Amino acid sequence: MDSWTYFPQFLSSGITMGAIYALVALGFVTISKASQIINFAQGEFVMLGGVVTFSLLNGLKLPYPVAALTTIVFVVLVGFATYLSVIYPLRKASILILIMATLGVSIFLSSTSGLVFGTLPKALPPFTSEQPLQFLGISMLPQSAWVLLSTFILLIFLYLLSHRTLLGKAMEASSTDPLGADLLGISRNLMVFLAFGVSAGVGAFAGILITPIFFTSYSSGTLLGLKGFIAAVLGGWGKNNGAILGGFVLGLVESLSLLIIPSGYKDAVAFVILLLILYFRPKGILGSPFIDSRRW
Amino acid sequence: MKKIVPFISILMLIFLAWASPAYVAEKSPYKIGVNLEFTGPWAEVTKTVKNAMVLEVERINKTGGVDGHPLELIFEDNGFDLGRVAANMTKFTRDREIIAVVGPFEDNLQATSRAIAEREKITNIIICPSNSMLRSLKQKWAFNIAQSDIVVSQKLVDLSLARKYKKALVFYAAHPLAQSLAEYYKRFGEEKGMKVIIAKETHKPTDIDMTPQLIKLKPIIEKEKIDVFYASTAGPPGPIVCKNLRTLGIKIPILGTHAFGFGFIIALGGQAMEGVEFAAGKPVVPDQLDENDPVRPVILDFNKRFTERYGVGIDQIAGHAHDSISLIYDALKRCQGKVTRATFRDALENTKGLKNCHGIYNYSPTDHDGLSKRDMVFIRIEGGKFKRIKFPGSE
Repeated sequence: MDSWTYFPQFLSSGITMGAIYALVALGFVTISKASQIINFAQGEFVMLGGVVTFSLLNGLKLPYPVAALTTIVFVVLVGFATYLSVIYPLRKASILILIMATLGVSIFLSSTSGLVFGTLPKALPPFTSEQPLQFLGISMLPQSAWVLLSTFILLIFLYLLSHRTLLGKAMEASSTDPLGADLLGISRNLMVFLAFGVSAGVGAFAGILITPIFFTSYSSGTLLGLKGFIAAVLGGWGKNNGAILGGFVLGLVESLSLLIIPSGYKDAVAFVILLLILYFRPKGILGSPFIDSRRW
Repeated sequence: MKKIVPFISILMLIFLAWASPAYVAEKSPYKIGVNLEFTGPWAEVTKTVKNAMVLEVERINKTGGVDGHPLELIFEDNGFDLGRVAANMTKFTRDREIIAVVGPFEDNLQATSRAIAEREKITNIIICPSNSMLRSLKQKWAFNIAQSDIVVSQKLVDLSLARKYKKALVFYAAHPLAQSLAEYYKRFGEEKGMKVIIAKETHKPTDIDMTPQLIKLKPIIEKEKIDVFYASTAGPPGPIVCKNLRTLGIKIPILGTHAFGFGFIIALGGQAMEGVEFAAGKPVVPDQLDENDPVRPVILDFNKRFTERYGVGIDQIAGHAHDSISLIYDALKRCQGKVTRATFRDALENTKGLKNCHGIYNYSPTDHDGLSKRDMVFIRIEGGKFKRIKFPGSE
């Protein structure tokens, strides 16, 4: 088939999508590591990142970096507010109810964004030039390079946070052994509160990165959230490096699968992969600390 | 006790007379149901529709309505949801005072609405273009007010011939209208000696990245030496396709559909939209029409009033909204005897030579689309603006 000659191009397209899925997956993992909650509003944090930056740039005419930083701070505050208004009052309820509550938050955020910022899709200007880069038969946007670079930096930051700081370790402890964490004087509520902030910040950052490439509208958070969730499960639920790996694998498989199947089934590929993982390796590629592998 | 009953009835009568609205002395209003996507992805676009309709109805009512009967719009939100389209439509048909329904706006929703209109015998004015599948049903009660897929495709073939394109590749969105646009373009193009290839790859209106599909099309473009790429799509996928094409280093000209004629499309696509050409309704370029264009005065007048009230100029959608009210007003005036759903439908079907924003409307029992090729202009996106282009021989 002709399109095999475009293998490198599919690869680069897959890697860009993969970086985005990885960023969303990281947000999921950050919260679940602290509390075991699956935050389905994660995709909405990404959407808010893009949409709010757009409004600040075009409405208030702020310079790009200022608008981006203000947005991240704003979305982190939204993350804190989500915790305080939804998760904290329900902290005695079961995890399942908390997950349902985050679905509610997701619908609330996307509808509110539609009302406040409008429903038409929005595009941010790219960080640097719009001219595609050409090398080795691949042509890609400079913005894709920014996405890759930023994902890498964020990964290092989150790694340092969870492995090298007391805070990160406390966050992880409060999830893996709640009783032990309590006995050691870790405030679990505070940890989950902070995790929501970090995850909202990561989401907003991802939103700002991708809006110049893919347009963001009030409703685009849902699909991104689902894909990110699949990526997190694929890589190993509850692990940062699992989320990153899962994201890239998902992006690549989605893109490369088009070599053999028609493009109409592109979105279905992700869900077929999810089913296959759940059948054959529910703990994901790298293994999940939350899923007991002895049972499988 | 006996004295109290008449006393209370008199009191109630007085109260009723006092509480009735002032227009009770006037003739009863003609009610029009409006079934639109006021929430969901098209909320901003349908807001323009509502604004334009309200503007026109208020103007008509100020000048005495239709023989003293004011027009009244009843808005229902269908939330971009098929079930709610059907529910609203049924609700409107149950209210015997409603003589016609305007909407929905989106292609995917029109089939349902048309079927109910046909069953319940109520006129349904639909804003988006018809497609061949729906036309083959020969529905009596549904009318489309946008340029049909046939007209748009003929006009685009004219554009391609004027630009001397020999080979075209069509990449269409997976919904009925985009598909029939692609097929008519192929049919009319090949009649005129062009070679048109319809890509096997499609895209969905919700896709955010068309790169994988376009990578598969790139070898075809290079091997077949394609002159022009026709993106038969609407909404955000338009600019996404243009952006992705340019990112992949494909530099051939791009043709679009009339759905490219909106400001937000340029805002989304930015640099990638430069040089994209398409055929669209005249309201896209109110200030660039010919002096002797028959509909120019209508567009300029409406544009002036719309800008005065809402602070923005008109676009194609505002034009459609204006036209829907204007068609209803015209048909009501021509109704013989008492206005009923049936007489209104017959009057609307007899619309002849009505000058509106989108052109001159002529309905007939065999044509429920109303517009012709003359009612479209060629547009090129240049410097982030819509610029009208003309070719000798074809407008």
